[in-house]
Amino acid sequence: MKVAGTAQLPFPPERAYDLMQDPAALQKAIPGCNSLERTGDDEYKLSLKMVLASLSGQFEGKVLLTDHNRPYSFKMLVEGSGKIGFVKGEGVLSLMLLDGGTEVAYEGEAQIGGSIASVGQRLIDTTSKLLVKRFFKKLAKIGSGETDAAEDEA
Amino acid sequence: MATTVTKLEKLVGKRVRRREDPRLITGTAMYVEDVKLPDLHHAAIFRSPHGAANIRSIDVSKALALPGVVAVYTGKDILGVGSVVCAADLPGLRKPVHHILAQDRVYFVGHAVAVVIAKDRYIAADGADLIEVDWAPTQAVTDPEKALAAGAPAVHPEWPDNTAFVFDQKGGDYAAAAASAEVVLRQRIISQRLVPNAMETRGVVADWKAADRSLTVWTSTQIPHLARSILAGQLGLDENRVRVIAPEVGGGFGSKLNVYPEEALMGFVSMKLNKPVKWIESRRENFQTTIHGRGHVDYLEIAANRDGTILGLKLKLIQDLGAYHQLLTPAIPTLSVLMMPGLYKFRNIEAQVIGVFTNAVPTDAYRGAGRPEATHGIERMVDILAAELKMDPAELRYKNFAGKDDFPFLTATGLTYDSGDYAATLDVALEKIDYKGLRKEQAKARAEGRYMGIGISTYGELCAFGPSPATPAGGWESATVKVEPSGKVTVMTGCSPHGQGQETSFAQIAADELGVPIDDILVLHGDTAIVQYGIGTFGSRNTAVGGAALHYALQDIRDKAKKFGAKMLDADAETVILEDGHCTDPKTGNSVTFQQIAAAAYRGNIIPTGSEPGLVATRFWEPSNFAYPYGAHIIVSEVDPETGQITIKRYMAVDDIGNIINPLLVDGQLHGGVAQGLGQALWEHGVYDDNGQLVTGEFMDYTMPRARMMPWVESAHTITPSPVNPLGAKGVGEAGTIGSTPAMVNSVVDALSPLGVRHIDMPMTSEKIWKLIHGSKA
Amino acid sequence: MIANSFEYSAPGSLKEALALVADGAKPLAGGMSLIPMMKLRLANPEHLVDIGRLAELNYIREENGSIHIGASVTHYDIETSPLLMGKCPLLAETASYIGDIQVRNRGTLGGSVAHADPSADYPAALQALEAQIVLTSAEETRTISAEEFFVDTFTTALEEGEIVTEIIVPIDAGLTGTSYQKFLQPASGFAIVGVAARVRQAEGKFSMVRVGVTGLSGNSYRATRVEAALDGKDANDENIRAAAALVASGQDSSSDLHASAEYRAHLAVAYAARALRSALSRSA
Repeated sequence: MKVAGTAQLPFPPERAYDLMQDPAALQKAIPGCNSLERTGDDEYKLSLKMVLASLSGQFEGKVLLTDHNRPYSFKMLVEGSGKIGFVKGEGVLSLMLLDGGTEVAYEGEAQIGGSIASVGQRLIDTTSKLLVKRFFKKLAKIGSGETDAAEDEA
Repeated sequence: MATTVTKLEKLVGKRVRRREDPRLITGTAMYVEDVKLPDLHHAAIFRSPHGAANIRSIDVSKALALPGVVAVYTGKDILGVGSVVCAADLPGLRKPVHHILAQDRVYFVGHAVAVVIAKDRYIAADGADLIEVDWAPTQAVTDPEKALAAGAPAVHPEWPDNTAFVFDQKGGDYAAAAASAEVVLRQRIISQRLVPNAMETRGVVADWKAADRSLTVWTSTQIPHLARSILAGQLGLDENRVRVIAPEVGGGFGSKLNVYPEEALMGFVSMKLNKPVKWIESRRENFQTTIHGRGHVDYLEIAANRDGTILGLKLKLIQDLGAYHQLLTPAIPTLSVLMMPGLYKFRNIEAQVIGVFTNAVPTDAYRGAGRPEATHGIERMVDILAAELKMDPAELRYKNFAGKDDFPFLTATGLTYDSGDYAATLDVALEKIDYKGLRKEQAKARAEGRYMGIGISTYGELCAFGPSPATPAGGWESATVKVEPSGKVTVMTGCSPHGQGQETSFAQIAADELGVPIDDILVLHGDTAIVQYGIGTFGSRNTAVGGAALHYALQDIRDKAKKFGAKMLDADAETVILEDGHCTDPKTGNSVTFQQIAAAAYRGNIIPTGSEPGLVATRFWEPSNFAYPYGAHIIVSEVDPETGQITIKRYMAVDDIGNIINPLLVDGQLHGGVAQGLGQALWEHGVYDDNGQLVTGEFMDYTMPRARMMPWVESAHTITPSPVNPLGAKGVGEAGTIGSTPAMVNSVVDALSPLGVRHIDMPMTSEKIWKLIHGSKA
Repeated sequence: MIANSFEYSAPGSLKEALALVADGAKPLAGGMSLIPMMKLRLANPEHLVDIGRLAELNYIREENGSIHIGASVTHYDIETSPLLMGKCPLLAETASYIGDIQVRNRGTLGGSVAHADPSADYPAALQALEAQIVLTSAEETRTISAEEFFVDTFTTALEEGEIVTEIIVPIDAGLTGTSYQKFLQPASGFAIVGVAARVRQAEGKFSMVRVGVTGLSGNSYRATRVEAALDGKDANDENIRAAAALVASGQDSSSDLHASAEYRAHLAVAYAARALRSALSRSA
């Protein structure tokens, strides 16, 4: 499945770029993420609980950030699996200065398997868009200094 | 003893209501799920979520630790059990060994990896959730054409070309025909994967009695006796100590013409634990692990002259086999080859079938099994030719039909069609639907900018399987008629109906032959401990083959009854008349009733010379040929150019299925078949993504036809009895599925032909149609 | 297809139910979305509180010029309610398009609304009707508009501890006509797009136009550009077509097996025109 879109962040690309390499910020921004541990150069171990409508599932996986080209682009690979299925996504995020903020364009491929693939086809597009939206919304808040440990977007 | 004999109403040919229905409607029918045994254990199967993966390790400890879990078995435990059986054979066929539980790798989503046995099904399901497998996923391949490409991932590492077999067949000289032809047209036609979706999913209960070395297996199957033979072999048991019971079977459509891993697996578990064990397939498992149908990519080429004479047909058939062979997997596309000439008399064919492994559940027999694909191919090519030649598609068909005087008709593929008058059947269909009037209406609609289509399909099929040399297992069928001392009659048929209504139609046949009320007749089937060996139900064979066996067994009963009757009347067995339940001596007018004869046969006081007590007959009947029903289906449709939505305006089905035993059952078979055929044409599609995930794995995404989506089917029959069997019946179980699909596609292509549309692949979704219209305008 | 084990409560009063919800229990109404997810073990709530049986939430009544509908009223009861058919036919018509008869017999208005499936039918009608949604927790009751309520895909304004208890729809006077037009996904019966139109005309002109859309994107919405384009204009087909063309603008059209983003957007336009035309024809 193709995944593509754009998102706006209210701060310049350098700040946006650094935040997206910062495990602490990522952990807060990734919907449902309970932990993001550095395991190597640009490699992180990920644990998250996805909660969406009545669906909920624990995922364990990893995040790989490569092809660094600060502050223009980088590549992100995410893999996760759990009882309800597995997800593997790979894509390039490109950052552009736009009206003093940043426009992030992302484009990639995602594979979805297991139970969620066999029952949720009609919702994969809308829900993945929702999760991406939540991610950037949260990242925008974090980057703008509106810290929010109490808020839980999941 | 002179009596007034009341004439009994003859029942064959009448719309007798289904005797099966009261128990189905009142919920008292017994399916596998209804089997309850003391200390029954329950199984849940842990399955692969991956299309292709190696298994690094399996950890069952958490599952085993769950209170209530009794055992967990994995691939290493079942090595002593025989693998899944494929009965089909072809020269050079590669047969992967498919163990009943995966060994070191899995090759389709749903591949069984482990089985958890627990005290109840809830604990079993919880236990299966606790199994942990360390997977090493590998690249899957699910598109058969991609699987054939160089460098494609190998489904089975030992066969990197993913090719299970290549099968060639020639008749006449296609190359010469094509060289001499004035027109040669080519088209790639897809017959997509379909999910059979019987209303009742599969299910197995196995009950091992160690003391008797006997195993009883309840399974939702179309072939209890074959299943018994195969299970005995897989489990190393004596065949006579295995009892297979097919209780009420809630549909199969071919998907239960199989012996699956779970049957031997439950047998194995029951033997291991000395406990009865039950497994009921979930709907998701049914989507993922019960065979699929179709799965063709056909490259067709038709050669003809400009006057419309078809000279020959060439076919390259790429069959998506799935990951391994089920019972008949590789044989199904060869049936497509046999039927590729349709009803036409051309003499030249050339066919090649390439059987391709993919990371998907196997394809196998699904209602029509090879014949719908063949019919779709030829009927589409005929329409494509008609469009090219600017000939009326009906006229082109008339021109090429085998004539009514050509029977028995030897086809280009070597079949001998038994009987028919194809032109007469098409005449009826065209007249009933007012074809000429419709074409005028269409011209008017087109002038108004509306897209109205008229699609014709004149299908033929081979069924009533079949002569034994032409089938992977025996092709005969058996029947026992047991008259009880009271004169009540028990019929035991070796075919094992799964919803078609033979408890009704066979009772009609027996009632007429014996002159007893239909309520006196009980039809039993589906239990190997009760019924003599039989082949089963598939290929529209129950009436034409099983009914024929019954016919002959009834003749034996009649002969013996006449002997007893003559003895009782002190008359000549050669001249007494057995009619309306009475045996009458025409000389004296004296008669005895059938019931009196039955009583005498068991009392044993008088035994005719050369006869013996009792009134029981068993016959095994081997057909000399298949039977070949045919028909003409016409669909009038209209396409909404704004949305691409297709509306069926009229559906006309004129079928010739030979003699009809029960028109009500025939209607039901046709309506259901038409629904399934339209399902393929318009909605259904088993879609695997490139990673081997079945993305139409639930009814949320797999479009099963609904009652509200069905057109009114106008139906009529011509009757050309089959000379192959004594009933003159041909078979109707698959006819609707075969006739409807090309009629639907031809109709929509006809509707869009002003836009230059020549072919549309199935399913013809609204979006596909919208894009065709949209694209052609752009 | 066997759910994990869970606790089940069927309290006799809303008050008790709300107390359980406050403790983290998941409300169960008709179960048409939740139960299948549980059987597939995609949803694993530990505690269900059944609010579908609460008589307190099962009513349809007219009050102060509006119709108040309890959350546990089934789709079937909405579809066949004489009060709704007479005074708010849009909601009854919309309910008649949901799933199939079995779903309509079990599924409830409140359950569907709270679930906020992006392809559900009601949101289109509730947006067009400018419906009010009553949310209740153990502590308080608040009323918000449908537009505020439907936040995003499966995301609503419901706070923890709150449930939907009532939906309030207006009774339209005068020359108002409504229509719900749906292009359904043939497998599931969900809307690929569904458009609810509500129009009033005066002297041959549109004096009020409301258009609600579902299915096109991740959330239902009011097509305000379409509404604005028609407001005060001559009530004719040409204007409808021009306005309907704006229905998908600004929306991120969804894509799945059954309809690409492009096709969905096209259908939204086609169905907006159909709904407006049909509503207009009913407004005379």
